[in-house]
Amino acid sequence: MRFPRIVSELLANKKFVTGISVFLAVLIIGAVGPLLYPVDPEDMSFPSSMPPCPEHPLGTDYVGRDVLAQLLRGILSSLYVGFLAGVVALAIGVLVGAVAAMRGGVVDEGLMAFTNAVLLMPTTLVLILIAALFKTRSIELVALLIGITSWPWLARVVRGEFLSLKERDFVYMSLLAGDRWLSISLFDLLPNMATYIAMSFAELVAGAILQEAGISFIGLGPTEGVTLGRIFFWIQTNNAVIRGLWWWWLPTTVVIVAIAASLVLVSISLDEVFNPRLRGG
Amino acid sequence: MELPEPLLRVENLSKVFVVGLFTRRRIDAVKGVSFTIGRREIVSLVGESGSGKTTTAKIILRLEKPTSGRVLFEGRDVWRDLRSREDILWYRRSVQGVMQDPYGAFNPFYRVDRVFKQMFKLLPKDMDDEERWGLVEKALIEVGLNPRYVLGKYPHELSGGERQRVMIARALLVEPKLLIADEPVSMLDATLRSGILKLLMKLRDERGLSILFITHDMGLAYYVSDRILVMYRGELVEEGHPDELIESPRHPYTKRLISDIPLLYRKWSDI
Amino acid sequence: MPPLLKLDDVYAQYITRYGTVYAVNGVSLEIGEGEILGIVGESGCGKSTLARVMMMNVKPPLHLVRGRVLLQGVELNRLPRDRLKREVWGKQVSLVPQSVMNALNPTMRVRDIIRDFVKVHNPELDDDEVYSMARDRFEELGLDIRALDLYPFELSGGMRQRVAIAIATLLNPKLLIADEPTSALDVSTQKVVLKLLKRLWNEGIVKSIVFITHDIAVVRQIATRIAVMYAGKIVEVGPLEEVIFKPLHPYTELLISSILTPEPEVKKRGLVEIRGAPPDLRTPPRGCPFAERCPYATDRCRREEPRPVVIGSRLIYCHLRGGGAA
Repeated sequence: MRFPRIVSELLANKKFVTGISVFLAVLIIGAVGPLLYPVDPEDMSFPSSMPPCPEHPLGTDYVGRDVLAQLLRGILSSLYVGFLAGVVALAIGVLVGAVAAMRGGVVDEGLMAFTNAVLLMPTTLVLILIAALFKTRSIELVALLIGITSWPWLARVVRGEFLSLKERDFVYMSLLAGDRWLSISLFDLLPNMATYIAMSFAELVAGAILQEAGISFIGLGPTEGVTLGRIFFWIQTNNAVIRGLWWWWLPTTVVIVAIAASLVLVSISLDEVFNPRLRGG
Repeated sequence: MELPEPLLRVENLSKVFVVGLFTRRRIDAVKGVSFTIGRREIVSLVGESGSGKTTTAKIILRLEKPTSGRVLFEGRDVWRDLRSREDILWYRRSVQGVMQDPYGAFNPFYRVDRVFKQMFKLLPKDMDDEERWGLVEKALIEVGLNPRYVLGKYPHELSGGERQRVMIARALLVEPKLLIADEPVSMLDATLRSGILKLLMKLRDERGLSILFITHDMGLAYYVSDRILVMYRGELVEEGHPDELIESPRHPYTKRLISDIPLLYRKWSDI
Repeated sequence: MPPLLKLDDVYAQYITRYGTVYAVNGVSLEIGEGEILGIVGESGCGKSTLARVMMMNVKPPLHLVRGRVLLQGVELNRLPRDRLKREVWGKQVSLVPQSVMNALNPTMRVRDIIRDFVKVHNPELDDDEVYSMARDRFEELGLDIRALDLYPFELSGGMRQRVAIAIATLLNPKLLIADEPTSALDVSTQKVVLKLLKRLWNEGIVKSIVFITHDIAVVRQIATRIAVMYAGKIVEVGPLEEVIFKPLHPYTELLISSILTPEPEVKKRGLVEIRGAPPDLRTPPRGCPFAERCPYATDRCRREEPRPVVIGSRLIYCHLRGGGAA
């Protein structure tokens, strides 16, 4: 399929357009917002628990920080966590799946046994245990931890796809032209899984953002910087919901739901656009 | 002068597949198959689906490893004697293949040109790109295609017959000595088939190409080949000159096969 | 005697938002009682669509745009779908499709598939009556009755095809339409299936058969008459051996000379190559559909659609045979 046609088919899909617009909107807000609204999110010198007002469009939190500044900074950090964790999981998943499928035999059996072991681990629990081992945790460390626990299902699917694709005639034709397995994997097999990989990446990013929020919520997230997860942690420890500080918890919730939902929507739309006619050319 | 050694010698070739995760089952896809292919010869390997003919082809093409037995090309064991990358490339230059499915043989992601570009590493190193594309155009013209029409197109923009011709042109680019054609026309309509078959015969006559023509269709084998091998459940059951084989088959399987083939000039008496 | 089935100037098209495929373009055809009509053509010539039109199994995106389909004088194209289901399909006309695996419900045993099938038409029968009917028919046709207790996937390809045929003819339909029923089978199984069809016809279980295939050597073995289709049109119809050995339409001639059966006559005749490919039915050509590839084509062939010409017991659509003269 040629590129212009791919774009036009995607743009004709309502789910894709909705998903990508929401995601890009959040991304732009996160990227440009802090520049346009240069308030220090860690500055606690404002009055506590102030409802929205002209100086603080989203009010302040319980300890006197500007909520909008926090949210703006949190969006970018959370997307960063998601992206980083997504890349890590994608890299491990594709590598493990591809190597298992291509090498076969003992390598395959060993890698799959390992993958299944990781898959069967109660991931969140393990994540909590590992996180608890570190006194201070950078955003990157948390992203890395999420990444290295969330790849197994991807590895299994990639392996399956590779196994079926490597029996395709065009792979044999590449072998007959003297191509080696590495170049066949990169240029014959991976491009044919491109939509699947894009879908998985969107889901991994969404999952990682939610997972960061989850472990931060119980206080085991990053110990520095502002992420959406950390905002939730403060919301929870300061009983913001009970205290009626809606300007604090409501926008944060809306933003995180918007990010996750938009990514899932993008993933679903990719499936809809490409899968029914994957073979049709 | 004819060399004493045939171009290709297959000796006692066997392939066992082990399938199933818990109940490991052995499937004998190929059982002790031996035959030779001489120079300037079209040899057909005829069998129904599951007879092991495609597995045999893949082993000869070095796409599937045999469980036991040998494949000797110009006296070299292609599974044991080809060690270096140079050896492998030599074999790829000497033996090429055309697959059954003219749709699946192309990666839908790329333009048709890619299948030729991939072959460039098999061409002499001192050749520049202009000369290489010149060869591509020559090969396309030889198989009856217009290079300007074909190059730059995506596979789905070509018909099945055109794609199969592109596949043959691709194989011819390196001037192989042996072409393994696995059901090259079975997915094409009768009127598109004839052109491809004629082309294969022309290549034998004009270039001295040897061809292993793999098919389930005895009619095609009878028409194009110098010799026919019949395969049944992994074994080679009969070998012979086409006319002899059709007129007086010896093996019970061949006998039944030939009596069950619907013919044009003779009507079954037992229906 | 009126024909069993009559197609009168039928046009059928697949209409989608991406465009229209003109699959059947003005086909008129009669199927008499007691004949086996072979319809031959290459892939995409509209022969499978024609099979659907013959039993009026026409639902979007396929539309019958023009023409009539008459079964013993009754206009099927005027009957609503539920009446066709209850009164016509299976009882008057039955179809054996190309891929039987999709037609037989994989989660049901053969006897339960049969029970459901029969009860659509004869709800008054109880299960035991249906089973004994099925057993009798299987025995009559020489099929192993143990197949009744199996699931479709437990049957071999050939057996599955024979079971499908036995089910389709259980209620003695007058007309059986078989759409490439043997093209997925190896030659020996193919012969067994062809024998079964012939037996159904010999014993009068079905009156007539329409056998659709791309393989002329196969129809040669069982048909009494043959119709050759090209690009959504019939180009020649006539008695089997006349058409095969003395084709009058250039396409029939070329199609037959491209057949390779293992016979000395074929080798002697040589291989004739047809240039080009069939037209795209999204944009069917004006005039004769074969003109573009025909070695004898004239300007008139490209301009004007040929009319049918009767020569002896044959019907030919070709200007060379006088198809232009009104």
